[in-house]
Amino acid sequence: MFNKILIANRGEIAVRIIRACRELGVKTVAVYSDADRRSLHVAMADEAYHIGPPAPGESYLVISKIIDAAKRSRAEAIHPGYGFLSEKEAFATACEKEGIVFIGPSSEAIRLMGDKITARKIAQNAKVPLVPGSDGAVTDVEAFGVAKKIGFPVMIKASSGGGGKGMRLVRKQEEFESSLRMARSEASSAFGDDSVYVERFVEQPRHVEIQVIGDSHGNVLHLFERECSVQRRHQKVIEEAPSPAISEKTRKKMGQVAVRIAKAVSYRGAGTIEFIMDQKENFYFLEMNTRVQVEHPVTEMITGFDIVKWMIRIADGEKLPFKQKDISMKGHALECRVYAEDPEMNFLPSPGKLEYLRTPSGPGVRDDSSIYSGYEVTPFYDPMLSKLVVWADTREEAIKKMGSALSEYIVLGVRTNIGFLRRVMDNDEFIRGEIDTGFIERHPELLKANGSGIEHALIAAALVMRNSMREAETSKQAPVSNWRLYSRKLGVSGKSAI
Amino acid sequence: MIYTFKFQDQIYRIDLQDGKATEVEIDGKKFPIAFQKIDERFYSILIDGVSIGAGILKKGKRIDVFLDGDLYEFESISEKERHSSSAVISGVQQIKSPMPSRVVKILKDIDEEVSEGEGVIVVEAMKMESELKSPINGKVKEIMVKEGSAVESGTVLIVISSE
Repeated sequence: MFNKILIANRGEIAVRIIRACRELGVKTVAVYSDADRRSLHVAMADEAYHIGPPAPGESYLVISKIIDAAKRSRAEAIHPGYGFLSEKEAFATACEKEGIVFIGPSSEAIRLMGDKITARKIAQNAKVPLVPGSDGAVTDVEAFGVAKKIGFPVMIKASSGGGGKGMRLVRKQEEFESSLRMARSEASSAFGDDSVYVERFVEQPRHVEIQVIGDSHGNVLHLFERECSVQRRHQKVIEEAPSPAISEKTRKKMGQVAVRIAKAVSYRGAGTIEFIMDQKENFYFLEMNTRVQVEHPVTEMITGFDIVKWMIRIADGEKLPFKQKDISMKGHALECRVYAEDPEMNFLPSPGKLEYLRTPSGPGVRDDSSIYSGYEVTPFYDPMLSKLVVWADTREEAIKKMGSALSEYIVLGVRTNIGFLRRVMDNDEFIRGEIDTGFIERHPELLKANGSGIEHALIAAALVMRNSMREAETSKQAPVSNWRLYSRKLGVSGKSAI
Repeated sequence: MIYTFKFQDQIYRIDLQDGKATEVEIDGKKFPIAFQKIDERFYSILIDGVSIGAGILKKGKRIDVFLDGDLYEFESISEKERHSSSAVISGVQQIKSPMPSRVVKILKDIDEEVSEGEGVIVVEAMKMESELKSPINGKVKEIMVKEGSAVESGTVLIVISSE
């Protein structure tokens, strides 16, 4: 096993990886920007190195700085987490050149899957169903031609995109031009590449993905599916495993297809094959994420398989000791991403200092986070505060447990989506599992407090006002400190203080 | 004593009465209430036996109450302020930057007509672009920023008038 691993990330995933390393007896090295000196991953790691200013482009995304820190600390391997450099081929290549183990797939697999157009071709060759669309990046004129041919609604997507950035849904022909402009401008500022492609939009689509894991001995297994249909701005908010919408037959087929794609690129480490699925369980390949996924905990909860630990063991050359038939799932897991954001303001990020924090606990409750009372949510990074994960025997019980856990959460100082998440847990459609990627748009009423708590909140506010007014009065009445009064009394009585 | 709060542009009044025990009057009925600080910002409140746990942050006139997942941002106002604060100029709406961001595009010209819900300006923060919409039907009266400028949270970007 490695002696020391550098974690090229921050936030909750850095903390998650540090925990896995500790369990494996591996020393950890953190890196941090100026904005993260007080972050938990720095305090928890065995070593920590400063890598520059807050902007990711000057710190967490600078390959040379990460490699330097690895060399300085003599780390033998680097875990990239998710986001930042995790899916950058150049970073994996740099590690390979320096003789540092990249905890993930080969740079070649990242390159193949990172380019969405190449990824589509690989999927096609592996006989995996694809959504109809343009065969690659297109000019403005071509884009419009393709859109008209496949018919509206269509999706415009950034070629080098991810996480919903540079992505636009166009329902009407006349909206195409402005949406194309927005998608290109977003893609260019987020990825430095404004090329886009166009494909058919699947109505009421569900987002279902398969977790795969491969070792360097040619074994690839899948760990079943996750359903991530509840999204805002094309970013996942609530994830669960298993999906409430797929039959055992589809599950099996989807798993086999996913393993086929992973094998096509000799995949090593943890990866996710994302599918879009219609209401009749027809599914199409979307993309492959060649890294650990934010929502990996729900899979861990139903399979008992520690994905992060296995990523490290596999990078160390260990062989997966299981066969597909040895992997089974039990119960149901849900994850809610708790964000510092304002659902009433179109989920706008709400940075600021956490003036107070109380987190939920109890049987089957897992809160993956890196925050604490006094933590400052900066505008430089993703405003996710934590991933609240629950496990229970059935989906129904898991939803109840999540609702209860969410109501234990208290965050002061920033706005959060906790109330929104809590209302989703009470929503009949969600409870029945009738979810698709348009769920949030269809339920604007969930974004706003429904007013049931206002009376209690008012009483609380009034009580605090009354208390602070009383305290102010008391301090007016006693301008002289009690210590002084005491000594005066002693002086009058003529006794010595000692 | 009556306490007055503003919450989302509405005024709420609440009557706390201190006799032998503290009572609150709701819809003409009185309920006994008890109040206990648990830690720094966590309070236990009992209203006629109903137990509530709330996080409360008081900063001057502003009181944030976090209850059952939702944050209520109250502003405490005195009776005097309540009478003078009714002079809000109606029909003029300011579109403000909700957070520190960069102006990407201004979609309307001065004097151009806008309808409620129509996008007027695109700002970018945390690598995400968002279109801010007009809350009313009207005309663009003033454009306070330029494309590309960096703005602070609360900066007035565009003024829309319904006249």
